[in-house]
Amino acid sequence: MDEVTAHVVFEVFGIPITDTVTSTWMIMVIIVFGTWYLGKKAPVALEMIVDFLNDSLSQTMGMNAMPYLPFLGTLAIFIAAANLFSLIPGISNPARDLNTPIALALTVFFSVYYFGIRKKGVKKFLRELSDPIFLLPFEFLSQITRTLSLTLRLFGNMISIELIVAILLSLFPLIAPSIMAVYGAATGLIQAYIFTVLSSTYIASGVSVIAPDEEEAADLASA
Amino acid sequence: MTSEVVITIVTIIVAGVGIVLGTAIPALSEGKVAQKALEGMARQPEAANDLRSTMLISMALLESTAIYVLLIMLILIFANPLLDRFFS
Repeated sequence: MDEVTAHVVFEVFGIPITDTVTSTWMIMVIIVFGTWYLGKKAPVALEMIVDFLNDSLSQTMGMNAMPYLPFLGTLAIFIAAANLFSLIPGISNPARDLNTPIALALTVFFSVYYFGIRKKGVKKFLRELSDPIFLLPFEFLSQITRTLSLTLRLFGNMISIELIVAILLSLFPLIAPSIMAVYGAATGLIQAYIFTVLSSTYIASGVSVIAPDEEEAADLASA
Repeated sequence: MTSEVVITIVTIIVAGVGIVLGTAIPALSEGKVAQKALEGMARQPEAANDLRSTMLISMALLESTAIYVLLIMLILIFANPLLDRFFS
């Protein structure tokens, strides 16, 4: 279990910095410079990524996902890149520490309110949130539990793969762990997709209007 | 038998039985999801993309129940909160 949990590398003013934080910084550097390099050499590749994200998210949200794409695309690219680059020795997967999934899920939790208020305004958003007033506690309860489930899903998948690799490493140290690590990277890509799609459905439920009949009719007429 | 030994034995048995039940039932229901989705894809190939993304989402939601079981069993085995009560 000690190989899997995060351990402290150094401390800054008494705040412990774990190896998952340092590998998060490394992944950030890789993403930023990789994007800059790709944008100079092959901008079509970047456009393909943006188009793919926009198409799949628009399909699941049932609306144009472009206003929410900067946030959701960042989530998708960060989780996917974190899984892929954790195959490099020296970079550990940030999602195996519980704090990283909690941080990501909390950004999703607050972004639902942010995008909802930006779309509808404070008054209308609060009125639609508490439309039958006796359902307001359940609304908050569901928002908290879905944040918790987002966290635990990402964390549990990552930690289970890391545990399996650690156990295999103690049994057959030569080839078998690498195969399992590649399988874990594939699982991580699916988890990145799932995390993004679930966040997009939560945001879509936050920004959608209560009486969608007229808007749906208008959408159908225009489409 | 001291109480630590009893708690350890019970924890091991519960972890074994729990991980079997907690992974077998979601696996069965995931198989059901995949079966229905494949039937739908075979019947209507033009709806395959839509069905695939919906299938992935629902399978991830089902998978997360197995993950919760795994997390609880990991806590029970590696960081059992009940054992500390008797060791201190």
